[in-house]
Amino acid sequence: MKPLTPRRIFGVCGLLLAVLFVVVVISLRMGAYPISISEIVMTLFRGVAGQREQIPSEFWLVVFGLRLPRIALGILVGAALSTAGAGFQALLRNPLADPYVLGVSSGAALGAIVSLVIAPHVPGLIQIAAFAGAATTITAVYFLGRRGGQLDSPTLLLAGIVSASFLSAIIMFLMTTLSGRDLRGMAFWLMGDLSSPAAIDLRWLYFILLVVLGSIYTTSSDLNLILTGEQEARHLGVNVKRVKLVVYIGASVLTGLAVSVSGAIGYVGLLVPHVMRMMFGTDYRLLIPASALGGAIAIVIADTLARTVVAPTELPVGAMTALAGAPVFIYLMRRKVR
Amino acid sequence: MLGCAAHAVLVVASAAILPQSSAAKTEPARVVTDETGRRVAIPADVKRVVSLAPNLTETIYALGLEERLAGDTDYCDTPPAAKLKPHVGGAQNPSLEAIVALHPDLVLATTSINRIETVDGLAKVGVAVYTTDPQTVRGMLESTERIAGLMGAEARGAALVAKLQARLDALAARLADVPQVHALFVVWEDPLITIGQNTFIADALRWAGAESVILSQQKWPRVSFEEVVRLQPDYIVFASNHAGFGAEELGALRSREAWKQLRAVELGHIAVITEEINRPSPGLVDAIEQLAREVHPDAFLKKENGKVEMENGSPVRVGAIEEFDTRAGLRPAPTAKFDDAYLGAAL
Repeated sequence: MKPLTPRRIFGVCGLLLAVLFVVVVISLRMGAYPISISEIVMTLFRGVAGQREQIPSEFWLVVFGLRLPRIALGILVGAALSTAGAGFQALLRNPLADPYVLGVSSGAALGAIVSLVIAPHVPGLIQIAAFAGAATTITAVYFLGRRGGQLDSPTLLLAGIVSASFLSAIIMFLMTTLSGRDLRGMAFWLMGDLSSPAAIDLRWLYFILLVVLGSIYTTSSDLNLILTGEQEARHLGVNVKRVKLVVYIGASVLTGLAVSVSGAIGYVGLLVPHVMRMMFGTDYRLLIPASALGGAIAIVIADTLARTVVAPTELPVGAMTALAGAPVFIYLMRRKVR
Repeated sequence: MLGCAAHAVLVVASAAILPQSSAAKTEPARVVTDETGRRVAIPADVKRVVSLAPNLTETIYALGLEERLAGDTDYCDTPPAAKLKPHVGGAQNPSLEAIVALHPDLVLATTSINRIETVDGLAKVGVAVYTTDPQTVRGMLESTERIAGLMGAEARGAALVAKLQARLDALAARLADVPQVHALFVVWEDPLITIGQNTFIADALRWAGAESVILSQQKWPRVSFEEVVRLQPDYIVFASNHAGFGAEELGALRSREAWKQLRAVELGHIAVITEEINRPSPGLVDAIEQLAREVHPDAFLKKENGKVEMENGSPVRVGAIEEFDTRAGLRPAPTAKFDDAYLGAAL
């Protein structure tokens, strides 16, 4: 293993950033409305230069009005989910931990639905409720997953799975009280869907994402030590309690954030950190930014496929991530066994 | 850390770009309030319309305005010519850019099949979307008239609606002295799903002289078969699907143990009517007439046509009739129902 230098971190992140940029440009090119790469580049260039008048209005509408906001939302959701996954995996020292498996996504979904049933028109409430749902669930799962004062991996996962199905049952119950139109929206939402624009300004959501990513990043050296064992980390002077708190809250906020704008998208939080670990090593100082970027890349690709494979009809992106994620998961699992 | 920089760049990019993109491309000639209480700027000359629901497509054809129908959904199959129009995807998950690519002056949506997210998404990029929300037969007629008005064809709308209303009035006159039958409208057989009291289908049934046996506030209640056996409806009503609800399916149904316990099945009181019953479009009146003939055959044998009244006991509820007015602000404030329809909006 090569030693981790700032240069390597920047190099890897730069590489992923370049990949993300290419994926974004390709994604901007794809869709029901035909636009060529050169037109995309020209539109982007003129858009950034502020020469809007020179762009045909449909190009403007499709590129800046429809595709770019959706891609920006996808990047946000992907980065949030896979960073949350990486965080949970370190905290629980379990490679299977991710917001979806641990029931945190379901908790966030339940919080969001409850807020919709009680007070549908309060802006921002759904995000707060989704976070509250996520935080409550991860706390409950954490305590349910302990055995003899120790966090026990199988117990923890079972606790997560049971919590997820219990929460889903409550969600289904609440859904029967919704009218047909809301039910349809909710059905898409539960599958994970990026087709609807976020109710809150994207800039706010990105601001929260950056703050939380930053605070989780400050714990990355400590997370490396915690991964070798909590006792050992404590002996080395790590404030384990503080680190755990920061990462717990941070990962729950990120999950709540992602779920509140896109619904429950599975597998991204689970798989992306694994793939990043296999490619770039287990050091959290690199793994956190790499997971964020990798998650963004994964979601943008998945959503581009969701928009185009059966065009003009659109698929929910959650269906795409599950479709691609489950086989990748099995592959990774089998590879480790061998 | 560099990851953060990437996001920062995107935030700046979207911050600089997004607010401008929602500007409407054409000067709005008038602002109307649609049936869900949303304000919509409609261009003066609506030349290209995209319909997001089968009933809206049918309405446009019924108005004879199909030349202006630029696109519809995969589900729009009536009349058959509608299938040849460019499709924008399914009614629930159409591609927004496929809609934009058709350069519509106006997009028509409806609460009974479309998602609020689709409407929000189109509105956000400055596409005029008018959403209809017909909850009764009368509401369907009003929506029809409004759609005609939006497309600058008020006269056609008024003529069509007058014709439909006359047919309904004639039917009501014919059924004036006939007691209502109790019917079970089967939306889905297994599990058994029927209609609630407040659906347009229940209202259509009432126009045809039939009352749903299941009294539920839910829109599409799932009911136990025991309950149906207990209530013993006079008639079982099915909508035919396009493959045709043939003798085979009916025979199969009749031979089922559970259904055999129903007197209506024993007596052969099973009405299979056109699928138009499921769509709040002008074709709904055909379905109503067909159903009336099925459940009140005697009323159509007698040729006597004594008295014709204006509102001869028709099941129009007070409040269902509202002034048709597309000017903003004149419609009543959004009600609880409207709020309900917008539950999903915050998502």
